[in-house]
Amino acid sequence: MNPRTRQVLEFILDNLVWFMLVFVLVVFSIFIPNYFQLGIFANIIEASSVLGVMSIGLALVIIAGHMDLSVESVAALSAMAVGILFCSAGIGLGIQLHPEWLMVPVSLLIALIVGGTIGAFNGYLVVKVKMSAFIITLASYIWVRGLVLVISGGRSAQDLAPAIRWFGIQRLLGLPLTAWIAIACFVVFSLIMAKTPFGRHLVMIGGNETATFRAGIRVNRNLVIAFILAGAIAGLAGWLLAIRTSGATANLGVGLLFNAFAAVVIGGVSLKGGVGTLPGVYAGVLLLSAINTAINLMGLPANFTQVIHGLLVLAAVLLDAFKQTIRQRLA
Amino acid sequence: MSEPLLVLDNVAKNYGAIEALKGISFSIGKGEVVALLGDNGAGKSTLVKIIAGGLEPTSGRMLFEGREFLAKSPAEAKAAGIETVYQDLSLCTNVDVVANFFMGREITRKVLGVPVLDERAMEQVVQKALASAGTRIPSLRTNVEHLSGGQRQAIELNRFVHFGGKLVLLDEPFAALGVEQTRRGLDMIRQVASQGIGVVIITHIMQQAFQVADRIVVIRQGVVAGDVARNKTSPDAVINMITGETLAGAGPAG
Repeated sequence: MNPRTRQVLEFILDNLVWFMLVFVLVVFSIFIPNYFQLGIFANIIEASSVLGVMSIGLALVIIAGHMDLSVESVAALSAMAVGILFCSAGIGLGIQLHPEWLMVPVSLLIALIVGGTIGAFNGYLVVKVKMSAFIITLASYIWVRGLVLVISGGRSAQDLAPAIRWFGIQRLLGLPLTAWIAIACFVVFSLIMAKTPFGRHLVMIGGNETATFRAGIRVNRNLVIAFILAGAIAGLAGWLLAIRTSGATANLGVGLLFNAFAAVVIGGVSLKGGVGTLPGVYAGVLLLSAINTAINLMGLPANFTQVIHGLLVLAAVLLDAFKQTIRQRLA
Repeated sequence: MSEPLLVLDNVAKNYGAIEALKGISFSIGKGEVVALLGDNGAGKSTLVKIIAGGLEPTSGRMLFEGREFLAKSPAEAKAAGIETVYQDLSLCTNVDVVANFFMGREITRKVLGVPVLDERAMEQVVQKALASAGTRIPSLRTNVEHLSGGQRQAIELNRFVHFGGKLVLLDEPFAALGVEQTRRGLDMIRQVASQGIGVVIITHIMQQAFQVADRIVVIRQGVVAGDVARNKTSPDAVINMITGETLAGAGPAG
């Protein structure tokens, strides 16, 4: 095989999920009436912003060789915190700040701090107590959701302050600002992972933790930061979720974790750690969203979504194994 | 012997009731190559890990360049100038050759105050280092998982040659190497030592020890069973020290 074909093949393998996305969009556009519209595509991006942001945090931790099952509950808790403070109906306290725009940074900061704190708690236990991240974050997944129920009493907060809602309404180039926030997150964290020593170290820790420790990389510090980031990003996802629903309910975002998982795996991140890139994860998120939209347009009952997502995850895992075989043949 | 670089003074390590090291004392001079020999389970790797900061000794002390020294982590040992090549390779197979070569000390440049990896500069350094050592790796951008055992070991060996430091610890570095590569590896060790860097090499192969070492230290059952200059001993005498047919500390024989 000459180096050129090899390079082309490697490029295709590295970006397979993007090709799948384009393929799916083309097929849907041809076979589903009304699918091929700018509005539909904008909708696909818009609908994937919360899931996309949450997937970033999950992907960071998985790439570093660990696991964070708590992201969904953390997002719900952050959303509820913002909802209770800044909603004017239901259980909302309707806190007003002057000038009004001040509510934006304050609510965002609260969401990030709530998420980051739980992330720090997870990370500390994983690193210091050396327990499996799976178990620790599973516990957090349960107790944080419990906390949401406790502080809300099972009720909901509605009518989020207009100054914060503005991000979900104001559009730029056909997309609401919330979608742009998600895209910006992907750009920033993709750069961090690909171009900075911190990102490089996370990937290497996911590949061989012992080797990185021996090489003098501060593994524990990096891992705690990764968990804090995952928590804070989940907090941001919660903030976006509160804007999207203009409030918060006790069961807000239930099931998002599994979609995030699906997106991360489809995006080419290996659950063994050390493999995967964030642009791939974004493609995975868009792919899921594109399929959801297709299901809606075809008028299929929404219950099919879950079956299709499950099969997609399965396909992604099989594809990953297949890619490995091809790569070995290339080497 | 030139002035001592590292002095071990009665270094011991217990795992519960088990004494892995009962009290090891010897020293390594600048530019000196010490071969550390001993049977399986004699405590060689434990000793290397203690010097390299991977394990803390139960008792005893170490002097590095005349100062009290105890590395609490590999990062501290590295900062002090101690490089280690471990028996089980310490490479991240999921990243490329360049990333592995610079693991933990990436070259960066600031972009808007943020450290950004300078891939081109790193690639040039690796290319030069590997070329001067005669190691051929088709592409520095292939992930290490696709390389052979010999190529992987070559990366680790070239890494320590490049970064140098003051003391190099090699725990069976040639296990996966062919004849030619081993010869080159031994040359590398002599070359490193000639720059005044102390080298400790653990090996099972007597021939290698005699080829490269200035001094041979034998560890048996957690104590030093022999500490002799290479030109004052013979492979047979060393084997006797390893298996315990000579009394501990008997020194030169044959």
